[in-house]
Amino acid sequence: MLDRRIFKEIDWTTILLMVVISVIGIIFVHSAIYSQSSKYVWKQSVWLLVSLLALLILLVIDYKVLLSFAFPFYILMNLILAGLLIFGKPVANTRSWLVFGPFQFQPSELTKVAVILLLARLFSDYKEDQMSFKAFFLSSALVGLPFVLIALQPDLGTALTLVPVLLGTYILAGLPRRYLVVILIVSCLVGFIGWNYGLKDYQKKRIETLLVPDQDPRGAGYQLKQSRIALGSGGLTGKGYHKGTQSQLRFLPARHNDFILAVIGEDLGFLGILAVFLIYFIFLFRLFSAVQVSPDRGGVYIAFLSAMLIGCQFMINIMMIVGLFPITGIPIPFLSYGGSSLLTNFLIAGLVINVKMRRFAYIRF
Amino acid sequence: MAKIYEDLSQLIKRSRLTLIIFSLLLFLILAFYWKIQILDHQKYWKMAEANRLRSLPLPAPRGLIYDRQRIILADNQPSFKVSLLRESIKNDSQTIERVSQLLNLKTEELKARIDRYRWLQTYGPVIIKDNLKLEEVALIEARREEFPELQLQVEPRRYYPFETTAAHVLGYLQEVSPEEMKGNPHKKWRGGEMIGKAAVEKQYDDYLTGQDGQLLETVDSLGRSLGEVNRIEPIKGQDLVLSIDLDLQKKAEGLLEGKEGAIIVLDSRSGECLAWVSSPSYDPNRFITRFSPEEWLSIINDPARPLENRVIRGQYSPGSIFKVVTALTSLETGLITDRTAFFCSGSINLYGKDFACWFKPGHGLLSLPEALKNSCNIYFYQLGRRLNVDTIARYARTLGLGQITGVDMPGEKEGLIPSSDWKKKTQGEAWYPGETISVAIGQGPVLVTPLQVAALTACLANRGIRVKPRVTRLEGKMGPVKDKTGINPETFEKIIEGMWRSVNDGGTGHGAYQPGFDICGKTGSTQVISREKAERMIKRGEEPAKTHSWFTGFAPRYQPQVVVTVLVEFGGMGGQTAAPIAGEMFKLYREKYVRQTNLQGN
Repeated sequence: MLDRRIFKEIDWTTILLMVVISVIGIIFVHSAIYSQSSKYVWKQSVWLLVSLLALLILLVIDYKVLLSFAFPFYILMNLILAGLLIFGKPVANTRSWLVFGPFQFQPSELTKVAVILLLARLFSDYKEDQMSFKAFFLSSALVGLPFVLIALQPDLGTALTLVPVLLGTYILAGLPRRYLVVILIVSCLVGFIGWNYGLKDYQKKRIETLLVPDQDPRGAGYQLKQSRIALGSGGLTGKGYHKGTQSQLRFLPARHNDFILAVIGEDLGFLGILAVFLIYFIFLFRLFSAVQVSPDRGGVYIAFLSAMLIGCQFMINIMMIVGLFPITGIPIPFLSYGGSSLLTNFLIAGLVINVKMRRFAYIRF
Repeated sequence: MAKIYEDLSQLIKRSRLTLIIFSLLLFLILAFYWKIQILDHQKYWKMAEANRLRSLPLPAPRGLIYDRQRIILADNQPSFKVSLLRESIKNDSQTIERVSQLLNLKTEELKARIDRYRWLQTYGPVIIKDNLKLEEVALIEARREEFPELQLQVEPRRYYPFETTAAHVLGYLQEVSPEEMKGNPHKKWRGGEMIGKAAVEKQYDDYLTGQDGQLLETVDSLGRSLGEVNRIEPIKGQDLVLSIDLDLQKKAEGLLEGKEGAIIVLDSRSGECLAWVSSPSYDPNRFITRFSPEEWLSIINDPARPLENRVIRGQYSPGSIFKVVTALTSLETGLITDRTAFFCSGSINLYGKDFACWFKPGHGLLSLPEALKNSCNIYFYQLGRRLNVDTIARYARTLGLGQITGVDMPGEKEGLIPSSDWKKKTQGEAWYPGETISVAIGQGPVLVTPLQVAALTACLANRGIRVKPRVTRLEGKMGPVKDKTGINPETFEKIIEGMWRSVNDGGTGHGAYQPGFDICGKTGSTQVISREKAERMIKRGEEPAKTHSWFTGFAPRYQPQVVVTVLVEFGGMGGQTAAPIAGEMFKLYREKYVRQTNLQGN
């Protein structure tokens, strides 16, 4: 059943870009936390190999097969999330971790894959030019369920990464203007209720900090201020690898994950940032362009939603560390430290590659 | 064959549009990074440096203060103090709680103290306790890891070895107040720094204050030091030599022991003060200790006002001392010569009122020198009724009264010389001649400070050359600040004759007489209450309050060297109390400084 020829169509360039970005990430995790870096570098390297392997395994399975399992997979992930909420042991005050020996895993990460597949499955038969209300409501509800489950862990940052997927669905399926009004009303309502009852104080503080960054330099604004100082003091060419004082002297918080780009900006300056942006842009461009060669509707959805998920995370993070977006704890895909998210991002990008390599599936010789 | 591919063009169009929006957004974000990293680079670079490096002040020792014999009057002693680095504090109330427990301080006091300096930048350390005991130092040192926000420092601390001696010349140090810090940003005072708050310590604060050094060290985000980067050693403040002679100062203080008053011994040639006593005194060492508001209040609320520098801030009626001014005015205006005589019968009726001489039987017929010698009131009433108050005021001002002497001490008061203008301005009434006769004997609204009297005496001794008093030694080629009055020296000789007789010829000042030392002087007794009230008290059989007792004089008569001015509050007649004290001072001065004359004189 497996056609060997499709393996010639594997987009090795994209995979190489992913690996390059991941290796840059590991190099700068080493720079950021020199003193304890060997443990982190080793762990992340293992995760990189595991992710690559998982990617290759994923490519073997036709995405259409994956789509047919989308529903059970989605239900399974939601059950795990619900189970975590009920039975999970809190790690660092959140119930988001499954622990297997030395490795921990966040099911919320894999849930992203499930949501993408589910939406693609759902819309693969949907041929209308514009979104019906039923489709609108159904897709919103199906993203809403895991969103709430993850937000309750509480891990609002990861929950928020599901929003671009839903947004992508709206864009692709053609959201009528009148539904925008509904979205606006619902988000205002959710915002109001959430602000008064849902959000924790530290989360509110982060949003306030975005509006007035200098009001509390020791508290919530501290992270933003330090990250800006790191970037700004880097200048054009940076202070040199491993010479950034902001990260070396530990002024920069979360410098190996959420703020890894600030470390790069301090060590390598604006040119380093430019290089990262360029690599990322090429990478995102390749993901988006998979949409154009996708053989079917389901493939288009998979490619577009995956590109949206990775692209938006990237955008949010680069805006967050300079204060254009609230500090929500969203890491940069591939670059930031973190095993589960690395694996998930490899799988999501793998879905796109999977679609791309099977673009000629209808032509049989 | 059916369609191989579905029509996906609509979806592809939407996807392309999204990618374009993404690209535009990415470009805008890149522009923002450009702004932060390239345009604002300098600003952030400085902030990063401030993050990395912490500068700590290395306090400079204050200059020492010596007396003229190079005896140290104000010294420095090493003292441990602990400061709080607020930038290292994570949780305010918890830290304050823990620190106050560690140092055995009251939590509220510590909190109030930190709040006082909250407006300062967070990297400025706030001194929270000093003069630590060795056990406390060991305790903090041992728990350094737990308290990265505490900083131990050895700081030189002011110490006055002679305690209350010369306190009014030296002054004291106190913590700089937040208001002063805000008012003088260029002085770069640290929170809780000790600065001169009175007398010489205040006047010469800039001179005595050294230049603080600076220690630059790298720190981590918890404020823990990672190592020294640079060290600028502090520069010690300059030493100051006072003109005070510790022996004369101690002697004078001993003479005023238990009394309230002032003594000035002043070199009439240079204006240098050899003794400067304001009694009672206080111990300036007590001001160094922080955190003792009770003690501070007890000093402030003492009815004897020990903090008041009576020498320049006490304003007293000059009494008969003022007669020399009246005499000088009369001679200079040609009203009288030294041979002009008036008859004293013990009392006189002027403007329909009886005025008495202090010597009830009367002095008989006397000329000016005799009138000065006996301090005869009638003689000066006679002059007063013939003089205009404004003429007296003009000469009084020429001699230095009614204005600050310009001594190098802060807070000097002007005193008061009344004139017709002054009365119109303050009371809205015209001056009437009856008041002039009170002024002529130094009563009425005339007010002088003891230092003004000493300066006036120096002017008399110098035969009309005023010299500016000072408490520091003249240095280098800088001469004394002198000022001619333009009054004929001959005129002074006539007054000096009267002053000489007062001490050496059985006059009112004979209590100051020292064999072999030609002292010329004048006594004064000033009524603290009005004459009417005193008479009423006597009628009622009560003892009237005693008068303030004055003596001022110089010696020797020719080529004068030294002026001694003594004021004893409620000391009674000038001749009884003040003159013998002045005599003691003249005696000691002569023993120390005029040995040869001493041998010849005996």
